Amino acid sequence: MRFSLRSGIAATAVVTASILGLTACGGGSPAPQGTGAATSGEVNLIAYSGVWQDQYTKAVIEPFKAKYPDIKINFVSKRSSAEMLSALQGQKSNPNTDVAIMDQSVSESGNNQGLFDKVDATAIPNLANVPDKFKNKDGYGPVVMVDAVGLVYDTATFPKAPESWNALWDKQYAGKVNVVAPPSLLGITLTAITSKMQGEDYTKSIDAATARLKELSPNVQTFAPNPDEYQNVITGQTVLGLGQNARGQYYSDQTNKKIGVAFPKEGTAYQINTVNVVKNAPNAAAAKTFANYALSAEAQTAFAKALFYAPSVTNVNLPAEVKSRVVPTDGSLNIIPLDVSFLASVRDKWTDTWKRQIINK
Amino acid sequence: MSITQTEPRQADRPGHEPGALEKAKVARDRRTYIALLVPAILGLFVSFVLPLAYMIRMSFNQGAPDGVIVETFTLDTYIQPLTDPFYWRVTLDTFQMGVIVGILCVLVSYPVALFLARTTSKYKGLLIAIAIAPLLTSAVVRTYGWMVILGTNGLVNSSLKGMGIIDTPLKLTNNMTGVTIGLVEIFMPYAILAMISGFGRLSYQLEEAAGSLGANKFKVFTKVTLPLSLPGILTAFLMVFVLSISTFITPRLLGGGSVQVLATEIYDQTTGLLNWPFAAALSVILLVLFGAVIAVYQRITKKIGG
Repeated sequence: MRFSLRSGIAATAVVTASILGLTACGGGSPAPQGTGAATSGEVNLIAYSGVWQDQYTKAVIEPFKAKYPDIKINFVSKRSSAEMLSALQGQKSNPNTDVAIMDQSVSESGNNQGLFDKVDATAIPNLANVPDKFKNKDGYGPVVMVDAVGLVYDTATFPKAPESWNALWDKQYAGKVNVVAPPSLLGITLTAITSKMQGEDYTKSIDAATARLKELSPNVQTFAPNPDEYQNVITGQTVLGLGQNARGQYYSDQTNKKIGVAFPKEGTAYQINTVNVVKNAPNAAAAKTFANYALSAEAQTAFAKALFYAPSVTNVNLPAEVKSRVVPTDGSLNIIPLDVSFLASVRDKWTDTWKRQIINK
Repeated sequence: MSITQTEPRQADRPGHEPGALEKAKVARDRRTYIALLVPAILGLFVSFVLPLAYMIRMSFNQGAPDGVIVETFTLDTYIQPLTDPFYWRVTLDTFQMGVIVGILCVLVSYPVALFLARTTSKYKGLLIAIAIAPLLTSAVVRTYGWMVILGTNGLVNSSLKGMGIIDTPLKLTNNMTGVTIGLVEIFMPYAILAMISGFGRLSYQLEEAAGSLGANKFKVFTKVTLPLSLPGILTAFLMVFVLSISTFITPRLLGGGSVQVLATEIYDQTTGLLNWPFAAALSVILLVLFGAVIAVYQRITKKIGG
């Protein structure tokens, strides 16, 4: 460390002064926009990484490529919807992404920020098969798959699936629980559910939830499970934790049922992904062809079989053994309706509450 | 670069005094050096100064929910963390982690470095290569390795359990203990390298002289070897301290969300909450605060190490 920090900062200050307006967001020139369905070109897709990417590639992208051999798909993977949003914001004036598959709460932010285009059944005929509850009320990208938050558990420790969220607080699992703290959507959902369980309206206050979650803290082995919440249970680092049904079901098969996933009786919340066409997308026409395929019965069935996401279209008939493992969307599951826009607006505040009050040092 | 072509010709003209010739040569040389430095300076400017300036400018913007950046000039992003006890605690924890990891790393690396510096083995080069070989593996992979070793059912816990020393597994990961263990091992090669290069004044003859004058081995070590290796030790500590306070991979992976240091805070703000202005301000604070600490440290060590 021989360099002089002071002189470095001085040099930086000079440069800073000269480029003070560097971060200004410009309007940018609009990229050519296609209309109708295309059968050639390329699509830059931004979506989740890891097992999601592997299974989506196998179940949807490969068959799409077989059907449209002249459309090339470039998959840009991100660990979370927030990272996708960040990438899209960075390229707002000159996008190089065409389609984004991300969490509904985040895509709503994207819609509000003018990052996505509205879609209609002319360009995307399969939109006609999406029920109204899964369509965006303002005409933006519709729901493309549905999942729900649940409890993932070690089947050796729990021969009978845990029935209540309160299992997380059970002292006999002290140090063996994993919780994915906010800003993760799982942690945000747990906060909202806990608030409801405490008889509180989370849109007004989460004081009761915070007090209850503080009691959970000593039980928690990790607030940021690595590599993820499922591997933690599979490797025996923890025996119970937060997770999503789809991946839980997938890993259950992968590990010969070492891990299970359950929906607690108090109710749970959906985790919903939408398919969105980026505004001023460089390949808008091909993007719509892909979005249309993503909403086809063929793609939705294949992905439900591969990763147990429930379809969002009505013209799908899943085999019974798959249907019983994806999250029910017919109203038979106790779903706590959450205001995703509100949750998105308090994400930083709730993250702060967790860091300061809930996570133990 | 055209200046390097015009000036020397005048200097070469006959009738000039030798002094002037000399001067012109020096000037020409200097210009050549500067010309040679230009690509590197430009590279440094683009890859280091410009991003840093961008980051500093970003820190004066205002962050709105969901990654919206409000273009403005505000000090709020600085006032907020600097007036918030939470961020002071995070800063203090960062400092503490750097010091502890630095000390432990120096302690475990010193014997290895001393051996490598003093050995006369023909395999000395190979031994040094082995000592720094872990650098060939990414810190992420090594951190995952430590997660496996230190986990609830990991090597350490299952060994201790097998020997009947413990009944319930020790919590060695997802806390500061795990992070410290991981960081010490990960930074050991750097410490070893820094020490070996700082051991220049170590001399076998001086140790022998001390021995022949009646000093026992302990005295030789404390009165001769240790003082002479002090510059290496101090450099190694500084290096590990700097690397520790700025690393986020190991605190992130082995900390399990419970270890909150400035680097993990910056990461969360950047990728989780998308509040780039706030993350940029925290980065500037990290840079200035610890830059000052390092400057003070260097002043002190100059006095000690000479």
